[in-house]
Amino acid sequence: MKYLFSTVVCVVLGVTYCFVLWVVATHHYDWAALRPYWKNLLSGWWVTLLISSGALSLSALIAALLTAGQLSPHRVPRALTRVFVEFVRGTPLLTQILIGYYLVADSLGLDSRFGVGLVILSCFSGAYLSEIFRGGIESIPGSQWTSARAIGLSEIQTYRFVVIPQAIRRVLPASAGQFANLIKDSSLLFVISVHEFTMQAREANAHTYATFEAYLPLVIGYLLLTLPISLFSRYLEDRFRYEY
Amino acid sequence: MSIELSHVTKRYGATRAVNDASLLVNDEVQVLVFIGPSGGGKSTLLRLLGGLETPSSGSVKFDGNELGIHEAALRKFRRENGFLFQSFNLFPHLTALQNVMLPLVRVHGFTRMKASEKSASTLRRFGLSDHTEKRPAQLSGGQQQRVALARAMAHGPGLLLLDEPTSALDPEMKAEVLDVVAELCQAGQKIILTTHEMGFARKSGDQIVFLSAGEIIATSEGDEFFGKSESAEVRGFLEKVMKW
Repeated sequence: MKYLFSTVVCVVLGVTYCFVLWVVATHHYDWAALRPYWKNLLSGWWVTLLISSGALSLSALIAALLTAGQLSPHRVPRALTRVFVEFVRGTPLLTQILIGYYLVADSLGLDSRFGVGLVILSCFSGAYLSEIFRGGIESIPGSQWTSARAIGLSEIQTYRFVVIPQAIRRVLPASAGQFANLIKDSSLLFVISVHEFTMQAREANAHTYATFEAYLPLVIGYLLLTLPISLFSRYLEDRFRYEY
Repeated sequence: MSIELSHVTKRYGATRAVNDASLLVNDEVQVLVFIGPSGGGKSTLLRLLGGLETPSSGSVKFDGNELGIHEAALRKFRRENGFLFQSFNLFPHLTALQNVMLPLVRVHGFTRMKASEKSASTLRRFGLSDHTEKRPAQLSGGQQQRVALARAMAHGPGLLLLDEPTSALDPEMKAEVLDVVAELCQAGQKIILTTHEMGFARKSGDQIVFLSAGEIIATSEGDEFFGKSESAEVRGFLEKVMKW
């Protein structure tokens, strides 16, 4: 039964892959039309790479702070971080970018689209990440806390030596997914005219009407960014594996 | 050891896990044993004595000093002692050696080198020389409990508290752990223990305390307790557990 099921799955997926590849490969493309725009696409990819790696680091930092706030024994930091997380997760990123750039950043006199975009993206992703982190930390059983207290560790030492090392392993897969989302979400920064990868493709398409020629490079370009994260996360999962 | 419990009550919500317990233990007692039906308050009383819980009312004195309710003082008290749990509570992401080393380095101020030597010799003492580099998941229950015992003993605790140390083990592993505990008793280690092993309690306990429904029903010297207790409840309990 199990064998039959896996055979069916393999056949269905195999046929689907082949069909999609065949459709994509046999389409008539006009790559010549895109030639003047290759440079723009490449620079867009580079902007996406820069903004994503910046936002990846900053969002991890923001998430760590939000998680600390949510796990605080005091009500005020808990409530404030909760409001932030719920607001960010419950509203469209597009709106956040518009409000963040045209209202907040503008009133602060900041006009670097790249910088402001990076910060907004980091806040957005940081809110999601912090929920992943919190879940990971809260999943560590109470007996580990009791044991840590019994040997005389302080609360901070318990987080550092007992809880966080175990939680990291548990949050890796979900965090890697969130980082991949962050890379793709950076495409929404076109609304404040950050010339990232997707925006360059839109512009190329607008000038040439060569839609597939303009958008197909995105597939490869984004995979080049997301796949390494996925692979690195798998590698770390294996390194931190202790339940064998 | 000298212990003075006076009118100690511990509430969890509406439940009184320990109800108005008073107890005097004099200096000549080296091994104190709590027995009684499950849910009778043995473990809670042990945690109160080990500084892992604070009483809702009443006072706990150990060797003339009141344990109090302040976390810093309780942590200092816990650092001087060792605690062993029914479900081992080892840190799964650390090897046996690292489990024993962690409190030595982070709590007791050993250098890594000294801690490593001390941990290795303690593990050797408990027959675990071949398992120092293994993680808990790679060890049997009896081995895990002996690693936990090494962790509790490595810094030379004044008092060793054992919470049903063999309840989660099969008979062979029970013996393996009880042998080690018996050795510690003979070596003069001060021990407070909760257990369902009546044979062990009788052999090693200088004083036996019987708890049921959160109350101390009876207490007396080992032989006297098993010989002819005045309490009908104690006699009924012993009859039941010794029947098979």
